[in-house]
Amino acid sequence: MEIKRDILWRVYLCFLLVVLVCIVIVGKAFYIQQVQGDYWESMSDSLHQKIQEIAADRGTIYSDNGQMLSTSIPQFDIYIDFEADGLREKNGKRFTENLDSLSYGLASLFKDRTASVYKELLKEGYRKGNRYFSLKKGISYRNYQKMLQLPLIREGRNKSGFIAETQNIRLNPYQILAYRTIGLNRSNSQKVGLEGTYDSVLKGTPGKRLVRFIAGGVAVPVDESADIDPENGKDIITTIDTHIQEIAENALMKMMVSNEATHGCAIVLEVKTGKIKAIANLGRTPEGNYWENFNYAVTPTEPGSIFKLATMLALLEDKKTSLDAPIDLHGGHWAINGRVVNDAENHGNVANVKEAFEVSSNVGMAELVYNAYKNNPMQFVNHLKKIGLGSLTGVDITGERHPFLYTPQSKLWSATTLPWMAFGYNTLISPLGIAMLYNAVANNGVMMKPYLVSGFAKEGQVIKQIEPTTLRTIADSAVIKQLQSLVYGVCNEKHGTGYTLLKDLPFQLCGKTGTALVAEGKNGYSSKIYQSAFAGYFPADDPQYTCVVEIVNKPHAARYYGAAVAGPVFKEIAERLYTLYVRRNNPNHYEGLDSLKKVAGGYSFNGKRSSFQTIAGTLGWKYQFASKDQDATWARFYTNDQSENYMAPLGTIQDGFQKGLKGNKMPDLSGLGLKDALYICEGLGLKVDVQGFGRVSAQSLAAGASVERGQAIQLSLGDTPKQG
Amino acid sequence: MYQQEKLAKGIDWVVVFLYAALVGIGILCIFMVEYNPDVNWVSAFISGQTEYSKQLIFAGVCAILAIFILLSDSKLYTAFANLAYLFGILLMLATFVLGKNINGSRSWIPLGGGFNLQPAELCKIFTSLALAKYLSMQELDFTKLRSQIIATVIAMFPAMLSILQNETGLALVYCCFFIVMYREGLPGAILLIGFSFGVLVVATLIMDPDLLAIILTAIAIAMIYLLRKKIKRSKTILGLIILIWGACVGIQRFAVPYIFNNILQCYQSTRVYAMVGKVYDCSKNKSSIAREEENKGYAKPDDYNVRQSKIAIGSGGIFGRGFLKGTQTRGKYVPEQQTDFVFTSIGEAFGFVGCAAFLLTYLALLFRIVKIAERQRSVFSRVYAYCVASIFLMHIAINVCMTVGLFPVVGIPLPLVSYGGSSLVTFTILIFIMLRLDADRQMVLR
Repeated sequence: MEIKRDILWRVYLCFLLVVLVCIVIVGKAFYIQQVQGDYWESMSDSLHQKIQEIAADRGTIYSDNGQMLSTSIPQFDIYIDFEADGLREKNGKRFTENLDSLSYGLASLFKDRTASVYKELLKEGYRKGNRYFSLKKGISYRNYQKMLQLPLIREGRNKSGFIAETQNIRLNPYQILAYRTIGLNRSNSQKVGLEGTYDSVLKGTPGKRLVRFIAGGVAVPVDESADIDPENGKDIITTIDTHIQEIAENALMKMMVSNEATHGCAIVLEVKTGKIKAIANLGRTPEGNYWENFNYAVTPTEPGSIFKLATMLALLEDKKTSLDAPIDLHGGHWAINGRVVNDAENHGNVANVKEAFEVSSNVGMAELVYNAYKNNPMQFVNHLKKIGLGSLTGVDITGERHPFLYTPQSKLWSATTLPWMAFGYNTLISPLGIAMLYNAVANNGVMMKPYLVSGFAKEGQVIKQIEPTTLRTIADSAVIKQLQSLVYGVCNEKHGTGYTLLKDLPFQLCGKTGTALVAEGKNGYSSKIYQSAFAGYFPADDPQYTCVVEIVNKPHAARYYGAAVAGPVFKEIAERLYTLYVRRNNPNHYEGLDSLKKVAGGYSFNGKRSSFQTIAGTLGWKYQFASKDQDATWARFYTNDQSENYMAPLGTIQDGFQKGLKGNKMPDLSGLGLKDALYICEGLGLKVDVQGFGRVSAQSLAAGASVERGQAIQLSLGDTPKQG
Repeated sequence: MYQQEKLAKGIDWVVVFLYAALVGIGILCIFMVEYNPDVNWVSAFISGQTEYSKQLIFAGVCAILAIFILLSDSKLYTAFANLAYLFGILLMLATFVLGKNINGSRSWIPLGGGFNLQPAELCKIFTSLALAKYLSMQELDFTKLRSQIIATVIAMFPAMLSILQNETGLALVYCCFFIVMYREGLPGAILLIGFSFGVLVVATLIMDPDLLAIILTAIAIAMIYLLRKKIKRSKTILGLIILIWGACVGIQRFAVPYIFNNILQCYQSTRVYAMVGKVYDCSKNKSSIAREEENKGYAKPDDYNVRQSKIAIGSGGIFGRGFLKGTQTRGKYVPEQQTDFVFTSIGEAFGFVGCAAFLLTYLALLFRIVKIAERQRSVFSRVYAYCVASIFLMHIAINVCMTVGLFPVVGIPLPLVSYGGSSLVTFTILIFIMLRLDADRQMVLR
């Protein structure tokens, strides 16, 4: 029995062994499939052939003057494969030898961590044998190129394990300038602005490539002949001019900041074409800064008094009144159907229609419209619709909201709707819509469609030009002439609301001020939030640009009149545009500008000869040498009396300071700039004391006197250069 | 009619059924691996160019072979056991002269026509027979050390030849004969010592050497404390404990690193280390240093096979990706998938459930064989059946463990399933001889 039991035990043990082996195997299989399953599965997925997209380069958005407004630049994410063969061989010899110098190099390149922190980081990664260690993300191309020169990294990917992954990011070189209009190219969210509108043009067509992933996530192309190459996105050329945009943005920004306004916009249109040359949108952020955070320019608001131009257009076109018709302004208060229309100030009782417009009388407008259309308000509304105020501007930017005009059929129509419409309430029109109207008046009645993109380009070649679109003629030319005289009067008649603001400009412009109370949710108009507006065009005699500025002030702001808030912005834009563009295009406009008047007599500058030669060479000025010594270090650059045309001066480089620099004789410093004077004096070892500003007019040590090192000299500066 | 009756009489149909099922699964697996949607598989199959059609031909050959074996007389095997063993050994020796190098092992004899014979495979049959013959000798007393040594030599001699042929895997299989000998009375202590040695080696690989030395010392001290009364009586126990402790620490500190660095090739060490999830530094390996000095450089071995295999099995999940849907299999990422790594195709296509069912089939076969073994009257049949069971067990265990990363990668096929004529024929012969013997279990064979 003993033997039998022994044998049985042995048999059972054999069974047990078999079962145990099975359990272990099944257990392990379970572990691999269930516990680690996802890991192995993902590894598996990475091993198949896949059709991979080859991203197409996104097009660049250019300004009208050829500047890049938004472009794609590469950025690099740096990873390290610490299991790279080259790094590990000979027990990590290469890694340990380069660790210190590499850490130092990285620290001095990126300056975000110290060398010792980098060293610890790398050692840790090496110890763990991380195959995809993220070292740094989003480094620029320049830094990437510098990084490639660092020890270890320069030995290449196989030896260093350094992996760089490229990705394109969108860069707006002009940052805030037209930021909202250029828009955002967001991958996870809706694209806005031009990036959104022209996305299909910009993004191009991605290519396709069949790749096989091998271990480590590296993709190997399978059959390159079957690849479909990506078609890069086209560039778009906008109508925006960076100079004008900057002027508009700056002018708006200054006013926004000083008046702590809530938000505002400024639009500049080119009169003849309807091109949007600038479009600035600033909104106050919770931190109190201003940023291009919303496209206010295409968001309808109650326009206020700037709408009166449309009212006048309807009245004149329908022959309801004439400019010199007398009108009773009721002392600034006119009760109608239970509400009182108020003027900002009392303009007396009797005036004519033109004056009523120029002083921006609400009473006058309300009275005219009410009397003309009270029996047929639809005629007025239809007229407004006919000139396009009830429809979208059609500008090529996404997110434009529909304007709104009350109609007599509407439930919201009341007895006071019509008179209030007359001075810009009960309608919602975007600043751009207003700009279109004023632009049409400036353009002799021809309304142009505003647009932002003037063409598409590919590899520098314009492949599609977008031409200006004429929408409609808003009134006959006689009416337009009258309207032009109205907006001219606002700015150029003594009683006009824009006169005080604009009277000192060297050119004449046309425009209309506007101040409107803004309804704010349930508070209605009680928060005393005013929208200050100014719409107009310039120069008056030959309109080039239309500009509309609308600023919504903070509640209870001290300054809120259109002429006081939006007006100065308009003025600054007009003034600078006039100087920069209008005058340049039309020589007649040069007259009357001081800064560019011809200089009487010649001029003279003292300084380094080589600098003058550089300047003259750059500007293409011709000059002659007055003496044979043409290698003097210091020289005088001057014109003689015959130089009539300042654009082509006949200059001479003369040596006059040379002898003073030899030996220890004091040279004549008069007429030199301070920089040069200091250079010479300190070269002689003198201690210099300076007074005044400008060029050297007097020196305490006389020219020709011998000087010692350490001697003191006083230089008086003042702009009285010695004539040569 | 008489012939047929005789053929069918006493045959264990369960084993035959399991055998046929496994061969069928094997052909399907090879089909999965070979399958290419771009090629018309019917024409490829008929033209016999693919491995599954070859395997089908092998299966046909095996069927004929099986019938022949079943028609034969059981006495034949007892009579020719020793002769066959001698023949097998001679064949193995012949490989050293005629051998053809396939995948780095010189263990194949080319037969012409693209077929090769691996004598070490066949020799498993002969060794089983010889061992059965020896252990069934009437005058044998297996409790004696001498007979134990002779039995060990019979079992281990072909293993030794295998190692010389660079077929480590097959040599390991021969260790399965210890299980048989254990059943027949080999002291359990030998297996225990062998097992402990294995544990010690694995522990050496996994653990910090100093920590392991401390643990070993602690065990030794604990033993001395527990056996302090017996030690008072006899100092030899103390000496023995110290000796064992010394041997263990010696193995752990010096022997194991020495073997890995100086005896084993770089790729072998890497595979063993990979099994315990560690990276072997080949720059310490003597043979690879030697190669580097000769400026030959060494191909860096890695655990590529096992990784791919794990990916295949791991991506199967519970129910698998489905027949012919395994991407890992289709993409031919697993090397040797139709032979040694055939298990992965099941894992990927049929998932955990498939793996478990597949292993259960094997388990059923093994239990059936052990059951058959225990119902034998004659020692010869019993020992032989045990040999068959242990060879199967060893093959399955090592092969599957290797695919799931529990065992270093050694080239061992999965019985009846893996592609390969030699292996299929060997296992067929092994099983059907056993069935033939079992059919005659009423007879006492010597």
